[in-house]
Amino acid sequence: MKPMRQTAMLFVLTALLAGGCAKPPSDKIEAAEQAVKQARERGANVYAPEEYAKLEGKLTALKQEAAEQEGKFAPFQDYGKVEELAVSTANEAAAVSSAATQKKEEAKTAALQAQQVAQEAVSSTRQLIAKAPVGKDRAAIESIKNDIEALTASLTQVQASIDKEDYQAAQTQAKAIDEKSRAISVEIQDAIAKVKPRKVSPFPKQ
Amino acid sequence: MPAFLEGLACVRPGYLAISFCALVAATGCTPAVPPDLLADIDAVDRQLIDLGAPRIAADEYASFATRWAALRIRTQAYDDLIRWPWESNRIEDELRQLLAHGDTTLVRVQEEQAALRRTAETAIAKLDERLSALSSQVASLGSHIVLGKELTHADLLLKQARSFFQQRDYARSLEITKQANETLDVQTAVLTRDLQRYADAQQIARWQIMARRTVEWSRIHQSPAIIVSKVDRELLLYENGKKVSSYPVRLGYNGLKDKLVQGDGATPEGRYRVAALKGEGETQFFRALLLDYPNQEDRRRFRAAVQAGIVPPTASIGGLIEIHGMDSTGTSQTLGCIMLDNSHMQRVFSRVVAGTPVTIVGALTERNAITLTLTELQQQQGAT
Repeated sequence: MKPMRQTAMLFVLTALLAGGCAKPPSDKIEAAEQAVKQARERGANVYAPEEYAKLEGKLTALKQEAAEQEGKFAPFQDYGKVEELAVSTANEAAAVSSAATQKKEEAKTAALQAQQVAQEAVSSTRQLIAKAPVGKDRAAIESIKNDIEALTASLTQVQASIDKEDYQAAQTQAKAIDEKSRAISVEIQDAIAKVKPRKVSPFPKQ
Repeated sequence: MPAFLEGLACVRPGYLAISFCALVAATGCTPAVPPDLLADIDAVDRQLIDLGAPRIAADEYASFATRWAALRIRTQAYDDLIRWPWESNRIEDELRQLLAHGDTTLVRVQEEQAALRRTAETAIAKLDERLSALSSQVASLGSHIVLGKELTHADLLLKQARSFFQQRDYARSLEITKQANETLDVQTAVLTRDLQRYADAQQIARWQIMARRTVEWSRIHQSPAIIVSKVDRELLLYENGKKVSSYPVRLGYNGLKDKLVQGDGATPEGRYRVAALKGEGETQFFRALLLDYPNQEDRRRFRAAVQAGIVPPTASIGGLIEIHGMDSTGTSQTLGCIMLDNSHMQRVFSRVVAGTPVTIVGALTERNAITLTLTELQQQQGAT
């Protein structure tokens, strides 16, 4: 009878010890944190802000659950849910990261297209100025040239925004340049239309 | 034994067990969390997202989303539980609290968003107004080019602010509006610097002296003389020291500046004389009076500017400054000359001779269009 009782006690003790050895799944929590961090680095907070906010919420919930378990008496700690949450957070983070990367690429493509459109608009306005009349009529064109110089300078700002990966800003800048450039083209065409052909067109010194 | 217990005793135990199970099934199997509650929270979450709460109320939304994520997980765990009707339902209470929190956040975000929208809208409208005012005021002065690139830059920023506004990114729209206002501040400073001399009492006194001497010369020599006031865009014709007529003129596209170098579009200031009269067939501009620009003072200023590095050594001082009529194009500005309507030019042309003094000044009075414009610009700057 005595050996039987000892065996039972040993069994209970082992079970308690085994229960007490439950440890938080630090590696999985860390992996989840890293995945969320990576998602942010890939621009998820900008290009998938809703999904990213949820992801951060889930990460916080995971940490809260882990802290709750850590606060419990060792034999009653259960990190099963924490582990499950950590894995699903990491998976979701990877998905959000991938979606953000895709959206970022789309934004980049849109920004590059807008940049090209703006460049072409500025270039065609420049060409139009080259066709503009010289002599006295050049006075009106001179002031427009100044605007074109400003637009050309602004094109470098579009590139700067693209370099900074701020594609939203790049796109709005490029669209503004395109719009302005077209308006100036109309102005130049009006100026050209006003000019009647002359026999002599000397360029005065002044 | 009470009567009802006696009655129960008559009931078969099997029926009792069935009744008990039915009671349990009817009460204990109620879902731990009402599905409607979860749907309501989901709806609030969606509305918050639609309003852009993760971006515009990041902390508050993060707090909501965090609690929601945690409670959702606990709710899923509760799905497997059977709750007795007399047990308190903590998760439901917490979900209701979360819904209340979500509703409060939603109202706050809606209010904030509406306020931000109004602020951005007002800022854009003010910027638009300021830009238009600056453009029209400067256009009325006829010194478009003095503005340089800043005005175009501000216009681009205004368009950009509008784009962000349309995308409901009001914070960014406001940020861009602020940048545009700063650009306009720079522009105002540049304009003030370039045009300050029109508000400078000493400079105006010098111009007044120049004009008086010209009139005096006309009186003494019983001859015609011309005074051009750039800010008034007016040519005054004197004969024998008396003003006989005045005509509106157009100047260089950068006419409010004092001419320094060829191609600057400025109209020179100083005391000149008619060097030659160009009649029909001698000019493309109907009739023309060639001035003796550059004079000694112009050459001295030019040399000083070259030495100071203000203009490149390869630059030319320019010439061929005339008072002339219109050509066939109907252009509104010149490259630096003074232009009159042909009928006015004809009258002026018929009254002057070679050697007639022509004095070109910036302004003849301290209270002129430029000082008024500069005051208005500074007021607009102060208002932003």
